[in-house]
Amino acid sequence: MSLLRALPPLLRAFPTLLRVGFAEMVAYRAEMVVWILTATLPLVMLALWSAAAEGGPLAGFGQAEFARYFTVTLVVRQVTGAWVVWELNHLVRTGALSPQLLRPVNPLLFNLAETLAAIPVRLLVLAPILLALFAWRPDIAFLPSPATALMGALSVLLAFALSWLVQAIFGMLSFWLEQSVGLFGLWFAAWGLFGGYIIPLPLLPEGLRAVAEWLPFQASLGAPVEILLGIEPQPLRSLLVQAGWVLLATLLARWMWARGIVRYGAVGA
Amino acid sequence: MRILRLARVLAALLRVALMNAAAWRASFLVELLVGASSSVGVVLPLFFVYQHAEQVAGWALPEALMVTAFFLLLQGLVGLLIEPNLSAVVEGVRTGALDYTVLKPVDAMLVSSLQRVAPAKAWDVLAGMGLLAWSAAQLPAPGPGGVILAALLFLAGLLAVYAIWILVICTSFWFVRVDNLRFLLGAALDAGRWPVDVYKGWLRLLLTVVVPVALVTSFPVLALRGEADATMLIQAFGASALLLLAARRTWLAALRHYTSASS
Repeated sequence: MSLLRALPPLLRAFPTLLRVGFAEMVAYRAEMVVWILTATLPLVMLALWSAAAEGGPLAGFGQAEFARYFTVTLVVRQVTGAWVVWELNHLVRTGALSPQLLRPVNPLLFNLAETLAAIPVRLLVLAPILLALFAWRPDIAFLPSPATALMGALSVLLAFALSWLVQAIFGMLSFWLEQSVGLFGLWFAAWGLFGGYIIPLPLLPEGLRAVAEWLPFQASLGAPVEILLGIEPQPLRSLLVQAGWVLLATLLARWMWARGIVRYGAVGA
Repeated sequence: MRILRLARVLAALLRVALMNAAAWRASFLVELLVGASSSVGVVLPLFFVYQHAEQVAGWALPEALMVTAFFLLLQGLVGLLIEPNLSAVVEGVRTGALDYTVLKPVDAMLVSSLQRVAPAKAWDVLAGMGLLAWSAAQLPAPGPGGVILAALLFLAGLLAVYAIWILVICTSFWFVRVDNLRFLLGAALDAGRWPVDVYKGWLRLLLTVVVPVALVTSFPVLALRGEADATMLIQAFGASALLLLAARRTWLAALRHYTSASS
């Protein structure tokens, strides 16, 4: 207990926030299931690539590799999923942010706790899909080496942080603009193309690929997938790129929050 | 006479809906930009895939692009005309605002289906038409029969998707919060962007029978290639007629179930 008391108040509150977040996920479970099932584009892409690889592997990707790649992509996408951009947009536009500001915890951190608490629910919904995939193609199963698993886990963590931060940044734009969800749509389109969501980076044309490796899109999805699968030749460099983007995004998010909250008009107050 | 009146009502509904959409100018412009980028995002992956393979499941690039063109047309028309209304109806059921729709002396299903439009989605329709023209130019010219058949198949598929949309709306009369079901349906439609032969087994069955998105995207291309057979036609028109009938029935049942939030 005394150890708990020594922690800063925020960290002490975090377990409770997680519990509250989890309770909310359970309360809106049907809605949550639907949201999770909407992110099945990797499976649609898998069907296309798998058919394309019928005649033989493409750039080292055979049917089994594609199946593995998009299965891991599906999982990583779910685990790193966030919704803070819509949440912030709604809170700022309707003024519902005001009561949240009265709490002793930053509303953004409250959302972070909720997002983290949703992860077990997401995995639960994914389980039957993964089982079906496994039944269809048993060679999907793979066992990463301990070192790969460790680096992969770290990379997933960084990807989670980056996707949440990017959404928070676009969400905070609503302090200045009426509509920031639309702008996030632009990011999302680029992320789909250059983040490994619909095409594995190794299959992009050489020039594009060299650029995409350094972009935040790959850092928030493709990097952990490739590290986990062991197809990234320089996992350490990937991790460093990810860490760099996370640092940059953290600084930007903190700066924007400080500026934005001053501009916040509290509609309805 | 009745038809004429219906057409006048339709035109008036569309005019008001357009005015509503254009009233929020900044948001309107951003949405136009996002709409254009998402159209590009649908087409680009195919070029990447065909860089590595000559044929995918027996489809060459121009034919696959034509499927994607029909998909863009479908997605555009659904986003432009159907989807904005779904959220409006769901919202109306929750707040009781549907009262005003039901009170009007015009068919409530018609009004509910056409009270809002999202003009930004017109990009998808434009991109779809452009892509259709471009891919058609790469392929041998189809006969007039093929063109008519393709148009009919596309229309049948479109009506089937509309019917499914109505069915989804109807569930809101019982479950109230279903507005995210439209995203789920959107995700299911997403599968229609590739030629149907890409999908195997039960997935293929799902896409031709349950959520018959393949009817809208792949079948018209097959018709243009002169490969449409009788089973395909029976399947397409049968599915869309059945779905429309079910949608109409369910809508009427749902409306009887509607209790309004204010009384």
